Amino acid sequence: MAVKRQSVVLGVLLAPVTLFLGVFFLLPLCIIALFSLLTPGLYGGVEWSFYHWNYGRIFGWADGINEIFEPIYLQILWRSLSFAALTVVLTLILCYPVAFWVSRLNDRWRLVFLFLITLPFFCSLIVRLYAWLLILKPTGLLNTILLWTGLISEPLEILYTPAAVVLGMVYVMIPFMFLPLYAAVDNLDRAQVEASMDLGANRIQTFLKVILPQTLPGILGGAVIVFIPSVGNFVVPDVLGGAKGLMIGNLVEQQFLSSRNWPFGSALSMIIMGVVLTVLMVSVTRARKVSGHA
Amino acid sequence: MRNPVGWAALTAFSLAFFAFIYAPLFVIIGYSFNSNPVNMMIWEHFTFDWYTGLLGLSDRTTDVSNRAAYVESTDQMLAALRTSLTVALFTTTISTVIGTATAIALARYRFRMRGFYNGFLMLPMMMPDIVLGIGLLIFFVTIGMKLSMLTIIIGHCTFLTSYVFIIVQARIAGIDPALEEASADLGASEWVTLRKVLLPQLTPGILGGALLAFVISMDDLVITYFISGTGDTTLPVFIFGMIRRGVKPEINAIATLIILASVVIAALGLWLRSRKTD
Repeated sequence: MAVKRQSVVLGVLLAPVTLFLGVFFLLPLCIIALFSLLTPGLYGGVEWSFYHWNYGRIFGWADGINEIFEPIYLQILWRSLSFAALTVVLTLILCYPVAFWVSRLNDRWRLVFLFLITLPFFCSLIVRLYAWLLILKPTGLLNTILLWTGLISEPLEILYTPAAVVLGMVYVMIPFMFLPLYAAVDNLDRAQVEASMDLGANRIQTFLKVILPQTLPGILGGAVIVFIPSVGNFVVPDVLGGAKGLMIGNLVEQQFLSSRNWPFGSALSMIIMGVVLTVLMVSVTRARKVSGHA
Repeated sequence: MRNPVGWAALTAFSLAFFAFIYAPLFVIIGYSFNSNPVNMMIWEHFTFDWYTGLLGLSDRTTDVSNRAAYVESTDQMLAALRTSLTVALFTTTISTVIGTATAIALARYRFRMRGFYNGFLMLPMMMPDIVLGIGLLIFFVTIGMKLSMLTIIIGHCTFLTSYVFIIVQARIAGIDPALEEASADLGASEWVTLRKVLLPQLTPGILGGALLAFVISMDDLVITYFISGTGDTTLPVFIFGMIRRGVKPEINAIATLIILASVVIAALGLWLRSRKTD
């Protein structure tokens, strides 16, 4: 084994990452935490005094007034969580059968389709979202086709609705769900599946008792990788969503670039960070449990 | 899965799935050849005008004010492309060096903080872009650093280092340490062993990591959006702004060129990977 003594070389190898991420990653996160507890200045900026109403505002109380309870920010947070969860469920439903299909193809076609699934990952996110803008517009491709076929008589209002936001997120997140799922499905022990069928279990039983437990790590991995970028997403709702599709990420962006209330924006970011760290922690403990069983 | 009807249904579903993924890209490509300047959704006739205009070869706009605005936006776009390439080049280099060094340290040395580093390096990848973006924005403003190309490069490196680290680490896991031990036994210093024995074996992994870093850097929108300031803009931020302001037909041509470039890069990545397994 290459167990070596600690040495100068180790120091040289680790110093850059420690310094760089210490200063430009950890420190900024600490500064967000600090700013979330400061008083917003009148014209943007901050006053260096303690202020807990940034969080109070998120949970429904207007600045310093306990009586008025208006949970508009909680609603937006809830919407972000449910959109992200919906994105996870929909990408899973779409990718699971396809992962099976790809894993059963012969070598050559399998490589072709795996290449096709990773290709969009290399293609600009904003370009792919822009494509949906073209398709969903009232005068866009979808409405043109539907009107032409006579299925509808008036253009559908899809763009700038929550449905458009979820559709856009599903579209950009598909590769992230597909790859971990595929890895799990590809490692499936086929002998066990066949044994289960031979021993008289029907398809549903075999799926629930053999296939699902074996692919669960892939499902959970994909779910985490899709959920985390979805919950704080602001580009998709910005391009495809209207007021009803507003998510917590858009709120943060507004606080920094138009309302100039940095402390409130920081508090909102802390909530996003909290959600993400919770999901990560739960998934790591689960993964340990699952691998402990195996 | 053995019955043919089930398989046919699954095949149909899967092909529809791939159509769903690729249709939007073909829609853009199609519209980029539509000559209608007023409503790009209504097909007029086939044209290369948006491409030639983009590359500065021709100009279809006739009245003077329109023309000035047009040329200006084309120039801005080319400047954004230059910024994107410069940023990507620097970030790829820096994050590849740091990420590779970290991967080697964690794979070949045993030390007390090793577990911590392994977990810690996942964080920049998992942290939502928007949190990292505003964190860096507050940080740069607080320490009085002017937002510029330098801040964009720093911002990209914070999370790209982790991506390179993951890719290189996966490669190291497949390399037998026996060669390095032999090198050490034969009297080579730690440093020489690292450079002459480990690094050459790692090259495909490092190239793969660098390619990934380059692609993600070219595509990053959110972090760049917050820390680019008013001066330098990258291509994704420029396109984002264009979409927000109202879309002009040449955006289809830009988008098509980007799709084309990404196909080339993805193919390059595939080729690198196939070489790796040789």
